[in-house]
Amino acid sequence: MKKKDKMTPFIILMLIPGVGFIVFFIGSSISITVLQSLGFFNMMGESGFTLGYWKSILSSREAIDSLLFSLRMGILSSVGTVLVAFPLALFFRKSGPAKGMLGSIIKVPLFIPALVAAFLILNLISYHGLINTTLMRLNIIDEPLRMLNDSFGWGVITIQIWKNLPFVLLILMSAISSIRDDTIDAARNLGAGYWSVLFRIYIPLAMPGILVAMILMFIKAFGDFPITSVAGPVYPSSVANRMQIMANLYQEWNQAAVLGVIIIITTFFVIWAYSRFAELVQGGA
Amino acid sequence: MATLKLTNLVKHFDDVVAVDHIDLEVADGEFVTLLGPSGCGKTTTLRTIAGFYYPDEGEVYFGDRIMNNIPPNKRDTAMCFQSYALFPHMSVWDNISFGLKMRKMPASEQKIKIERVMEMLSLSELGKRKPGQLSGGQQQRVALARSIVTEPEVLLFDEPLSNLDAKLRVQVRVEIREMQKRLGITAIYVTHDQDEALAISDRIVIMEQGRIEQIGDPYTIYRHPETQFVAGFIGLANIFDGVVLEVEGTRCTVQAPFGNVLINAEGQEVPHKGATIHFSWRPEDMKIRDRTSKNQITGNVLQAVFMGDITDLFIEVNGYKMRAQSDDEAKIVAGDSVSFGIAEHAFSILRE
Ligand SMILES: Nc1ncnc2c1ncn2[C@@H]1O[C@H](COP(=O)(O)OP(=O)(O)OP(=O)(O)O)[C@@H](O)[C@H]1O
Ligand SMILES: [Mg+2]
Repeated sequence: MKKKDKMTPFIILMLIPGVGFIVFFIGSSISITVLQSLGFFNMMGESGFTLGYWKSILSSREAIDSLLFSLRMGILSSVGTVLVAFPLALFFRKSGPAKGMLGSIIKVPLFIPALVAAFLILNLISYHGLINTTLMRLNIIDEPLRMLNDSFGWGVITIQIWKNLPFVLLILMSAISSIRDDTIDAARNLGAGYWSVLFRIYIPLAMPGILVAMILMFIKAFGDFPITSVAGPVYPSSVANRMQIMANLYQEWNQAAVLGVIIIITTFFVIWAYSRFAELVQGGA
Repeated sequence: MATLKLTNLVKHFDDVVAVDHIDLEVADGEFVTLLGPSGCGKTTTLRTIAGFYYPDEGEVYFGDRIMNNIPPNKRDTAMCFQSYALFPHMSVWDNISFGLKMRKMPASEQKIKIERVMEMLSLSELGKRKPGQLSGGQQQRVALARSIVTEPEVLLFDEPLSNLDAKLRVQVRVEIREMQKRLGITAIYVTHDQDEALAISDRIVIMEQGRIEQIGDPYTIYRHPETQFVAGFIGLANIFDGVVLEVEGTRCTVQAPFGNVLINAEGQEVPHKGATIHFSWRPEDMKIRDRTSKNQITGNVLQAVFMGDITDLFIEVNGYKMRAQSDDEAKIVAGDSVSFGIAEHAFSILRE
């Protein structure tokens, strides 16, 4: 058995800024939000324990619709981005001059804030945007397609994929680059065609990276505010948008806090599910 | 099972010529070893046969089928990689069964074959482990098991035993050889261990800088090296230049720097009178205190290294250094003057 490292005063001193920051700002803000959702720290009126705010959120049609909408956006954006990024990551596995160029272009969205990204894409897919105009000019469609603010949320998903593709691509590329050429060669030598190599070698070996990418994407898209504001449907709004409406429009800070806690709980649940699943995938190794 | 033929094979990497016009024919069920120093093109040749590289020139034949453009998964070869190349996410069992799964073999049949090969390579206890939980030698045996279990047309081994300890190495190489004979699979085996090559092969291909220096059975390669490189690479050799003074049938009198020698070139290309030749002989061909052989040499012992069964001798003859061996009882020490006899058939005449 390895002896545990001793916590010397020096080490404790070094840890204070980092740990202190986490405990103070993150820990305290999360606990205040949780307490607020239970009726404490009330901005107006008197404070005291109550489940009333939870009840009114969980029985509100709008809040439930927002929750379902955000879940849908989270899941579809995360699956969609990984589906688009994985073949690209495989393509970029072997570097080449043309690929270097393409690789730089693909990374551009990484440096554009989400809100700006949303407006950029807006020009493309809005009712009178580039795509619709082109399709109409070419007489392929008679009437513009509704790609933005559609009730399902395709506009949001499209922008999420566009915006987060490079980020997910980076994660997947590093996962794939750790797969050795010899491993692929051995599989081919033993008779594996392209599909077998993909499903039996690439995907399982890149699975930790795929999972991380999906989790991070889900959390981003689930808690999204700017992209849904610009490109989301008129109804329902995302949970984050709903929070803003509750707080700013209705001054219902406690109900907003309930929504905030729901986002936090969902995030923690997803991370927990991920770690369980990662254990399963990795088995004993 | 198939014959294997390489004709005029060339493979470049940018400006490096890794394989340089190689011709090789391997009979059905034959065990051929590629032997040569690091970087001479052994792995490249093997990978071209497996289909990972397409040749820049020349052809690869299995039987009478040209394989040049057939992808690796459509060639019935199994390669044991120098780096093992095990699948890190699969158990030992799943690694070994991979090739059988790809061949869509029924599970019951797979089980029998896998258990047999695991037993043969002492892997039976390790089936559930992942490659990361194995020692280097165990990983190597899994790689070996994974390739031979598929019983392909051509087995390709890239230094499969380099990480085993000496005892296991001998044991496993005997097993590889027996299995290959039993199944009659054509095998190409890469090594840079010459003892291994001599022990295991039907024929040995000596490679140097992408070219083939000599092809022959182990006896011929050892007893009759054809080039200076082969003579120096396999075993120990004394290599000298000389001028042919006299030719009588296959017997030549050669003037060497340390004195004249009588060489019987029977079975070799007999040189012309007046030609300058390179020739070699083995240290063990110098028979100590042998008065009957045609060539008599007396030398000063510079160094004597006792090796147990023999004594390694570094001697000096008329100012020229050479190596000899003694299995004589009498203890020899540096400074002794010792006479040797060398038989006239002991010499090999070498090409450049
Ligand atoms: N993928 C590659 N790209 C560029 N050069 C290569 C590549 N593979 C091999 N070479 C070069 O080709 C030559 C032959 O290499 P090869 O791997 O066939 O040697 P080898 O005989 O297997 O050596 P070793 O005994 O060290 O394994 C070497 O000079 C090597 O540097
Ligand atoms: Mg090699």
